[in-house]
Amino acid sequence: MKFSFFHLMPYTHLELESHDWPFPNRYFDPAKASALYRTYVESMIHAEACGFDWVGCNEHHFSPYGMMANCNLIGGALAYPTKRVKIAMIGNLVPLNNPIRIAEEYAMLDCMSGGRLVAGLMRGIPHEYLAYNIPPGESWERQREAVQLILKCWTEPEPFGWEGKHYQYRQVSIWPKPMQKPHPPLVISASNADSARFAAEMRATMGMVLLADLPSGKDCVRIYKETARVNGWEPAAENVLVGMHTCIAETDEEARRWMAHGLKYFDQVLMGGLQASQRIVLQKTRYFENEESRDRWKSRLDKRRTLTLDEAIERGTVLCGSPETVVAQIKRIHGELGHGVFNFTVKVGTLPDEVIRRGMELFRDRVHPHVRDL
Amino acid sequence: MQPQQRRVSLSSGELTYFVAGEGRPLVYLHPAGGVHWTRVLEGLAESFTLHVPVMPGFDGTSAHGAVKSMPTLAKLIGEFIEKVVGGPCDVIGCSFGGCVALWLATERPDRVDHLVLECPAVFRPKGARPADAEALRKALYAHPEKLPADSKPAELEAANRRMPPHYRAPDDTDAELLAKTASIDKLTLILHGTADRTIPKESVQLLKSRLPRSYLVYIWDAAHAIEVDQPERVLAVLGSFLERSEGFIVNWGTLALDAG
Repeated sequence: MKFSFFHLMPYTHLELESHDWPFPNRYFDPAKASALYRTYVESMIHAEACGFDWVGCNEHHFSPYGMMANCNLIGGALAYPTKRVKIAMIGNLVPLNNPIRIAEEYAMLDCMSGGRLVAGLMRGIPHEYLAYNIPPGESWERQREAVQLILKCWTEPEPFGWEGKHYQYRQVSIWPKPMQKPHPPLVISASNADSARFAAEMRATMGMVLLADLPSGKDCVRIYKETARVNGWEPAAENVLVGMHTCIAETDEEARRWMAHGLKYFDQVLMGGLQASQRIVLQKTRYFENEESRDRWKSRLDKRRTLTLDEAIERGTVLCGSPETVVAQIKRIHGELGHGVFNFTVKVGTLPDEVIRRGMELFRDRVHPHVRDL
Repeated sequence: MQPQQRRVSLSSGELTYFVAGEGRPLVYLHPAGGVHWTRVLEGLAESFTLHVPVMPGFDGTSAHGAVKSMPTLAKLIGEFIEKVVGGPCDVIGCSFGGCVALWLATERPDRVDHLVLECPAVFRPKGARPADAEALRKALYAHPEKLPADSKPAELEAANRRMPPHYRAPDDTDAELLAKTASIDKLTLILHGTADRTIPKESVQLLKSRLPRSYLVYIWDAAHAIEVDQPERVLAVLGSFLERSEGFIVNWGTLALDAG
């Protein structure tokens, strides 16, 4: 089992109240953000010494939910102070950006890190489409086309042009090309049937975060593996990534107390405004290709919103507790999903950074030795 | 725009051809399936005088006794251009026609201006070909639903597909053509479908690397029959290349509407 130290890089200096998206930036203090960036990046660098295999981050816009409009900048900051860990950009929001630019920046990161990039090619969550004024109804078309264009950028030996529906280029020949051949490993989100199929078709690692429950995750893994076989390949355990909020402390009580503290800010402030904008996108557009996928997404969000922390732990959608408890939780979830990469979202809302640091050391000393060979 | 069928007498025999449209002359060399008046040809005929010779033996015409190889077929097309069009002209070749067009550029470079090779059937690795009509259909089209209802009778299609071996050496990896390709100095556009399973991308990559003045453009979501799968995309690139030559790499923005 590989472990990923994943950071959302939230802005944590706000009152406990929600605002509609986009969150007014009059509340943003650059000096505080500067200190947060330093703390967060230092944590990610420290993750290597704590036994993590990947350090990861992602892209979000116009809210304190995550301060990474371009997570590749953070990837650049991680490339030289680290030596071993994979730099996991999970990832760039493909339909929102210029695919050529994504191919170029990822190739830079792969070269800068000596071939340690994990290239996440994400479709993004619904409200992000408002930020860059991209029609949500085109998200799947853009995603499918752009991912193939990015792969062409990485693998074509000659300058080429591209005449597509959403992207047209006459001459492409990116410098640099990625160090990993034929290209860096891909991660594509696969939290519903459509995206699971697409990830398998692209021979990408499937990424599932914010699970509503283990049975729905298990269903996505089944669809992913079936589709992979139809497409002529057999996924390994490491091709399944599962991500969860994670808090490890000395005791179960302490971990639950801190997780509850962090979740309060996460749910009320960071997720509060997003829910309104997401509802508008989902109701008014064809972000999802069919009713079933849309209903599953809404149901997943509703389930998560109404779950207590105890219920979430019980369902296996959150990792929280003492090292021994977390070892048991990891084994249980691995037994259900058979995944090979566990992605820990460690900065849950206002969960204090010193608690996270202590949790990283507990992971190194008392969790990792018991689960690394799963 | 209804194409007119005509005939011309050439040194090795009579050649049937179609002509449509008005404008600068443009010669189109058809694929192994014979002449299909696709939306791409209709679109080209709106801006060009389109000449479409039926290569001997295709679409029910007679083969020419003296024309039994790709070089001799290319020379025949060169003679056709000389006699019907006059001076050098832009040439489009589709699949098998792309191979003929490439030979034309080596055998009669004086007859060719711009060259367009649509999914050219060249430099193919040896291997299995589609076993039957259904397998062929799957290999040719990403969107078979776009096929026009008035397709040719199956017997004629099958007879057409027996003609390429008539012109080609048993080893159709085109070693001789490959050796000559580097000497072609024509500005060339190569088009290839992203879902083409008939001609592998490695073949067009090799062609691109050998042609000194060439562009390679992938047509998204198209298999081998790019004109059927994505006619608008093909027309957009073709129109721009034939109109602007090297300038087609520039995004002309709104000026493209009237920049001529």
